[in-house]
Amino acid sequence: MLRPLLHFFLIGGLLFAAKAVYERGHSEGPRIIVRIPAEANPAEVERSIREAILLREVRRYGWDRTDPIVYTHLVRNMRFIEPDTPDDDLVLFQRAVEMNMHAHDPVVRARLLYRAGEALAYVPEDQVPSREELEAHRQAHRDRFEREGRVRFQQVFLSRSKRGDALAGDAREMQERLSELGDARPSGLGDPLPGLRTEQSTTPSDVKISYGLDLWRVFEEPVTGVWRGPISSVYGLHFVKVIDTEPAYVPPLEIIGAEVRADRLREIREELRKERMAALREAYRVQIETVP
Amino acid sequence: MARSSSGALCLLCFAVVAFGCAENDDSNWIDEPGRCADFDELRQVYWGDTHIHTNLSFDANMQGTRTTPEDAYRFARGNTISLQPYNEDGTPTRMAQIDRPLDFVMLSDHAEFLGALKVCNDPSSAGYDADDCEDYRAAQEFNADPGVVRGVFIKFNVLLSFLPEETGYPALCGPGDAYCLEAGMDVWGGVVDAAQAAYDRSNRCQLTTFAGYEWSGNPGSANLHRNVMFKNENVTELPYNYFDEPYAEGLWDRLREECVDADTGCEVLTIPHNSNISEGVYFENRMANGEPFTGEYVEARNAMEPVIEVYQHKGASECLPGSATADELCGFEIIPFSNIAWTNLEVITPPDPKGFLRVAYGEGMKHEANLGTNPFQYGITAATDTHISAPGFVAEDDFKGHGGAGQPNRFLPPPQGFPDIEYLSPGGLTAVWAEENARDAIFSAIRRKETFGTSGPRILVRMFGGWDYPSELCNADDLDAQGYEGGVPMGGTLGPQPGSTSPMFVVSAKQDAAGAPLQRIQIVKGWLDGDAYEVTVYDVAGDENNGATINLATCVTGGTDSADLCAVWQDPAFDSTQRAYYYARVLENPTCRWTTWQCSEAEYDCNDWDFEACKALKAMEVPHSNYTCDCCDPAIGLNPGACEDVSCDDPGLRSEAEERCCHPVEPAIQERAWTSPIWYQPPG
Repeated sequence: MLRPLLHFFLIGGLLFAAKAVYERGHSEGPRIIVRIPAEANPAEVERSIREAILLREVRRYGWDRTDPIVYTHLVRNMRFIEPDTPDDDLVLFQRAVEMNMHAHDPVVRARLLYRAGEALAYVPEDQVPSREELEAHRQAHRDRFEREGRVRFQQVFLSRSKRGDALAGDAREMQERLSELGDARPSGLGDPLPGLRTEQSTTPSDVKISYGLDLWRVFEEPVTGVWRGPISSVYGLHFVKVIDTEPAYVPPLEIIGAEVRADRLREIREELRKERMAALREAYRVQIETVP
Repeated sequence: MARSSSGALCLLCFAVVAFGCAENDDSNWIDEPGRCADFDELRQVYWGDTHIHTNLSFDANMQGTRTTPEDAYRFARGNTISLQPYNEDGTPTRMAQIDRPLDFVMLSDHAEFLGALKVCNDPSSAGYDADDCEDYRAAQEFNADPGVVRGVFIKFNVLLSFLPEETGYPALCGPGDAYCLEAGMDVWGGVVDAAQAAYDRSNRCQLTTFAGYEWSGNPGSANLHRNVMFKNENVTELPYNYFDEPYAEGLWDRLREECVDADTGCEVLTIPHNSNISEGVYFENRMANGEPFTGEYVEARNAMEPVIEVYQHKGASECLPGSATADELCGFEIIPFSNIAWTNLEVITPPDPKGFLRVAYGEGMKHEANLGTNPFQYGITAATDTHISAPGFVAEDDFKGHGGAGQPNRFLPPPQGFPDIEYLSPGGLTAVWAEENARDAIFSAIRRKETFGTSGPRILVRMFGGWDYPSELCNADDLDAQGYEGGVPMGGTLGPQPGSTSPMFVVSAKQDAAGAPLQRIQIVKGWLDGDAYEVTVYDVAGDENNGATINLATCVTGGTDSADLCAVWQDPAFDSTQRAYYYARVLENPTCRWTTWQCSEAEYDCNDWDFEACKALKAMEVPHSNYTCDCCDPAIGLNPGACEDVSCDDPGLRSEAEERCCHPVEPAIQERAWTSPIWYQPPG
């Protein structure tokens, strides 16, 4: 059985990306030995394996010898070791490589792992989502982009703090008046409250924030054109009549394109990172050596 | 040169033009006023937070905050985010969720190290292997020594305490600071783009986002921080910080030149905060050159800084108890530290009353009398200053600590006692009265100061000032229409009125639907009498003695309810020749402070309490606190036995434990709202 091996290539001198999966000419992928401390937990073991594979891959492409940061860093190291050397940077770099410094230096290691991480998540041009793909993403994840429905309603409020013990009786009277009101607006009825409008259009969530759960529950039932109440809140008693409702909807791409694109690109990067790492993990034959 | 996000998008389009980028996005969309379904010309209230730090802020980053700007926006919408400390495999030990979504948000990451953090985290950067970056990365290791972390935290942040002439970018930024400037520009571009992507452009207008950052100069540790808020995606190319512009005047000049006057559609304002820990210099009559204010200076400050944070995580800045302009309710969330370093190090030092707002208002009127413009004519906002990417996370009964100058919770185990310095608090919210939840409307509301701040609860308050409002205005269902027609809203200015009448004010408030009832509405009047300024506080609605009760052991409250209050009030001592301001303060019935909430839910025993042992635990690099130590601390107000024989009036020496008896937090607090003042300007 041939094993797939991810093949990387450089893009713009900075990033590499999965270009193609090719089949090797023999059945087994490269072997790698990973030395892991005996006390390492499973997460640490897995991380060590991932890092070993990535380091091997980036070294396979010679990034440890061509990367400008690695170059500068190793030259700096050499000048620290040999402060009086007359040699130029290139000679010093070559000497550092001969000393295998590029294989063991922690900064070089971090640099190479960073580049590998960037490369794993790199989105190649042919995977930048097209308009059609963004539209499909918008449709497939309506829950992420959906805007809450709205309700237009009329409201009459009786203040507990203003009416005190008379509140219940006043509410009964108000209920009768409203039943006789027909389609007329309830202008001038009830008590004022900051932010309250005789008629307003809002979301059920805003109703919950403004008046509490009981009033919010009223809007869960699709009843329009009739006065309902009294409904209690911390402020007093409310009567409401739903005029009409607008359902929840997902705005078109022309309005939320940036939001959809950011969401899809985040997904693509994560998918690519996982896919590429999994492909590499599968390609390698990992042998673990426990070290004290 | 102003940076345009659409310009950045176009660069991207060149790169991927073959894939039709220009058709993929909403770049042709125009943010037209009136697009929101809930547009209301008489204005509605919207709730927000304009002071939020994410992992892009150096201090938050060092404290283990891993959440990003995108996470902060998710949190504001009501989603759950993770909190430090994290396990080694990266799983969080704590989570957070806001109880109700916010309407608007501005992230304000510290601008000073935006670039440095990227340089140190990006091996592609030329400064990556600088010594400071190596120290930073060593401190970022999972098993880093907490003492080393603390050292690196201080090593970077101390640059913000250097005097203006001495400060500058860290050496890792390279020749001409080029590495950090370039990286900072890049990060700033990402901040702007994140705000763009999170802005709800649909007609539902569920979340409005603003691009912003924090200018974080605190020379000599005196906090002079300001948040910079842009109206839209047209922003300056760089987020100008303390290293670029070490004086506020320089910052304003840059913003004026490269934004306001640049004809790019850029609009900007700055929001001062934490004058309480400025050693009293925030409102000092001194410009960068050491000279007293000039007319040009006061005009610039007035134009650039319309509002101020009256309260946030690091305490309230309204008024200092015991000072000349104080009243008996000024003790709310006063932190006993005079500057930002003492706050971070928890060294009790008396705050300077000159750093508080009522002094600024008084001094501002004096400047106006002399120079023609009031440099401190601030409207009111409040914020969290969260450093865990949690905008609007203000619940006293769910406080998880905000980090920053407060307690870091980076290392395992998760906090076993208080998650923050006991004197700090969850912070508050800004409310604005605006036509709709869109950038133009919200920014304009802040610009005209039609704003109020709350200590967290969504207490709703409306205020108008005029000359002949009807006495029955509270019963009118068109109070707002009459309010606008007959006067000015909060933040406005009343000019002179012929005749001898006094100004009238209508204040209407309702409690948070999920909060405590209201106790009363007060109007705070300040006026200038010659060279002296005075303050009087009037109760105008409600009742201080309304019978409300609270059990500090259980946090159960009782008593009578006032869910809504309203008053029409006329100044009984008005002198038309004197400058004056009037703002409303709306008070809830007492409820438990966060420390009391946590103690009511914890097991602790003050019989086992040992101050010295607790002090030793706290002094460890990773605080190993517990609720017995925390709740029995004399400063928390729940262990009165510890303070029985302590006299705080006695100037004699006190032990450290006794000293803490003299700087207690309030175990029960009165949450509140503060409106922007309405100003009165006399003739001439």
